[in-house]
Amino acid sequence: MTNVQFRVLYREFLFRMIDLDMLSAQGSTSELFGKFASLLLFFSSTLAIGAFFLDTRRIPPERLLLINWRTEHFLIATTMLVVGLFAVLSWDSTFPDRRDVLVLAPLPIRARTLFLAKVAALAAALGITVGALNVGTGITWPMIFMPVGTGFPGLLRCYAAYWIAMFAAGSFIFCSLLVVQGLAAQLPRRRFLRLSAFLQMAGFCLLLCVYFLQPSLATPKALAAAQNHRLLACLPSYWFWGLFHSINRSAPGQPAIAFLMRRAWTAVAVAALGAGAAFLLSYFRTLRKIVEEPDIVPAARSLDWSPRFGNSLDTAVVLFSVRTLLRSRQHRVILAFYLGIGFALVIFLMNALLQEQERLGTSTGVLSHQVNVPLLASTAVMMSAWIVGIRIVFAMPLELRANWVFRVTAVRGTLAYLAASRRPLFVLAVAPVWVGSAALLFSIWPWRAVLQHLVVLGLWGTILAYLCLHGFQKIPFTCSYLPGKSPLTFVFLGVAAFLNLLIGGANLERRALDSPATYAAMVAVLAIAAICAGWRTMARAKSEESEVQFEESLTPTILVLGLNRDGVVPM
Amino acid sequence: MLELRSVSKRFSGIVAVDDVSFTARPGEITGYLGPNGSGKSTTMKMITGLIQPTSGKILFEGQPIERDLIAYKQRMGYVPEEPHLYPHLSGLEYLVMVGQLRNLPPKPTAERIDGMLRLLSLHGDRHSPISNYSKGMRQKVLLTAALLHDPDLILLDEPFSGLDVATGLVLRSLIQELAARGKVVLFSSHELETVERVCSHVVILHRGKMVADDSIARLRTLMSLPTLEEIFSQLAVEQDTTAISRQIADLIRA
Repeated sequence: MTNVQFRVLYREFLFRMIDLDMLSAQGSTSELFGKFASLLLFFSSTLAIGAFFLDTRRIPPERLLLINWRTEHFLIATTMLVVGLFAVLSWDSTFPDRRDVLVLAPLPIRARTLFLAKVAALAAALGITVGALNVGTGITWPMIFMPVGTGFPGLLRCYAAYWIAMFAAGSFIFCSLLVVQGLAAQLPRRRFLRLSAFLQMAGFCLLLCVYFLQPSLATPKALAAAQNHRLLACLPSYWFWGLFHSINRSAPGQPAIAFLMRRAWTAVAVAALGAGAAFLLSYFRTLRKIVEEPDIVPAARSLDWSPRFGNSLDTAVVLFSVRTLLRSRQHRVILAFYLGIGFALVIFLMNALLQEQERLGTSTGVLSHQVNVPLLASTAVMMSAWIVGIRIVFAMPLELRANWVFRVTAVRGTLAYLAASRRPLFVLAVAPVWVGSAALLFSIWPWRAVLQHLVVLGLWGTILAYLCLHGFQKIPFTCSYLPGKSPLTFVFLGVAAFLNLLIGGANLERRALDSPATYAAMVAVLAIAAICAGWRTMARAKSEESEVQFEESLTPTILVLGLNRDGVVPM
Repeated sequence: MLELRSVSKRFSGIVAVDDVSFTARPGEITGYLGPNGSGKSTTMKMITGLIQPTSGKILFEGQPIERDLIAYKQRMGYVPEEPHLYPHLSGLEYLVMVGQLRNLPPKPTAERIDGMLRLLSLHGDRHSPISNYSKGMRQKVLLTAALLHDPDLILLDEPFSGLDVATGLVLRSLIQELAARGKVVLFSSHELETVERVCSHVVILHRGKMVADDSIARLRTLMSLPTLEEIFSQLAVEQDTTAISRQIADLIRA
């Protein structure tokens, strides 16, 4: 009985790591799981191929050592980032929630079975993530990383070291986030739910910042330098890198390695114990709190904020979109993922600026107070990330079955609805980034250059918003969502090309800011592009077949051509 | 006047509603009855314009509803069977949004919402998110949303579901009051006692087909049965209810 219950609950919890509310009636969890797994596999295979192109016989030993050490650290840090992002994305599924308690409590299931199934599902999800991410790299790179002259036993040891380090790193980051959530869950339930959203966002930002901003210390010189020891003690990815070398016996004569290895094991033990304690607390305390929570929580009078955004339909659609985005945690997390990509690219660009400052020997802030390409490109990157992210979350429904109200109250034509559904993208994406950029740039740059850049930025935002809205015939958050329509693997290639385009554009703009004629030409081109993009989007909306969409449909795999034998009239 | 002429609906070849014709007149409350899966809610959805009939016509005041669906929707209020609402909005925010979607003037609408919420004892919880509401509270929100624009055609699909006794009594009187003011009321329910008290005219559906369309008094006379429950059992209940209940009791004991 208990075994059957465990298996059923384990499966249920594992599949619920992905938010099922996002899926339409035609969507399937296995397809969505497959999509995520294939993305990780693609990433792993791409990196794995790199090992074949490395001709270790032709590279000098010192250089090979540097390549190896940096690659090892990169793979460990990336595993930690991906596992961390996964833990943040599945935040709501990690501990038993109100729904679990209310649905399962009346059934004869021991709380222990419920918890064990939950822990097993989490462990399986962690294993799948680390495994899928390293399935390619974990086969090819250990052949490069193994110490020279150790033969087959050395290779086996290297494989063991690689996988132990990866699973230890993944477990540490996953358990650490569980500890944070478990501790926050001890607060009064309502406070916890509010704090939870901020913790998720903070976790997201911290993971990305550490990943992109941590200095490269994977060199013999940096490792030996006394001034780096404090830094090494604070950066978890280096602890697990030390663990890898300690097991692999590939960095002899480096006393820091033993220290890092000890730190890694201690960190894993502390995080695992902390996660265990968090689960026990949840077992003994949180479940009772959830059950005792009143069904109807009295709400304080909310802020009566309802500005107008055009006519009453526009206002209704914009306010609905704003409220949904502010109150729906799953939409906010998905948006944060895209903003995180934008943020990471900005950090990457700003890092280049800092390195330039370091190279020139100027003090911090000197270059940033001059109009510079990285900051110009950064505002455009953030604008793009917001627009794309918001447009993507708009396509994901919230309480799909409640969309009948938009259909029953459709007392205006389709065009009015499509016009109203375009407005939230401008209100939620273009306007905030534009205003934020203005506030930042006016505080550091000359006002004339800022005004000129804001015109360009506004036009860029308008073009991108209209391009993203082309063919979008939905009221935000009201249409069903079919996963797998866009090939995710190509998105990464697209991001790289797009970043190059933006940096090229920022270079052009930097030159144009010094030449009024070039600037005027640039603004004219962008304005024409914005008008064309707007006209194209509106023309599509005005076409005869356009109607507000509430159900997403896949393009049929098999197209009916309607061919008939000669002379036979189809019935 | 709402008129259905030979309306049918098929889903992938399965007949949900088969050749249904009836008329609901102003000042009259038409009860729309049938067992689960008989096609009541499908008919309601066709009347609201949410789904299209496979064949047949739905006319409101002599005009096919699809001729000017927008104008028709402006005059229709609908309470669906399931209380699907946006849980992240408060009751007040939801109703204000419905008013805006219906293009109603803001100030009078706000006053109307405030008044209705007070009368339905929901005013104190108007700022709470709908996710916290009980089924009855959600039903009250739906009812307010349906009546906000003073519709001429009122479609009520299981409106008493989850309501407390006092609100149920209020709703019963309200339906009668609205009909007395010349509204067309089509009302679907499983509560036959309420239907018998409120409705002047009933349409009974069984497996998608219409099996009765008459006044309750006339049905009583024609079928020589004293109550609507017995008429309904005769027309739409095929099973021997006592035998089934005995079989269930035996089954769970086995």
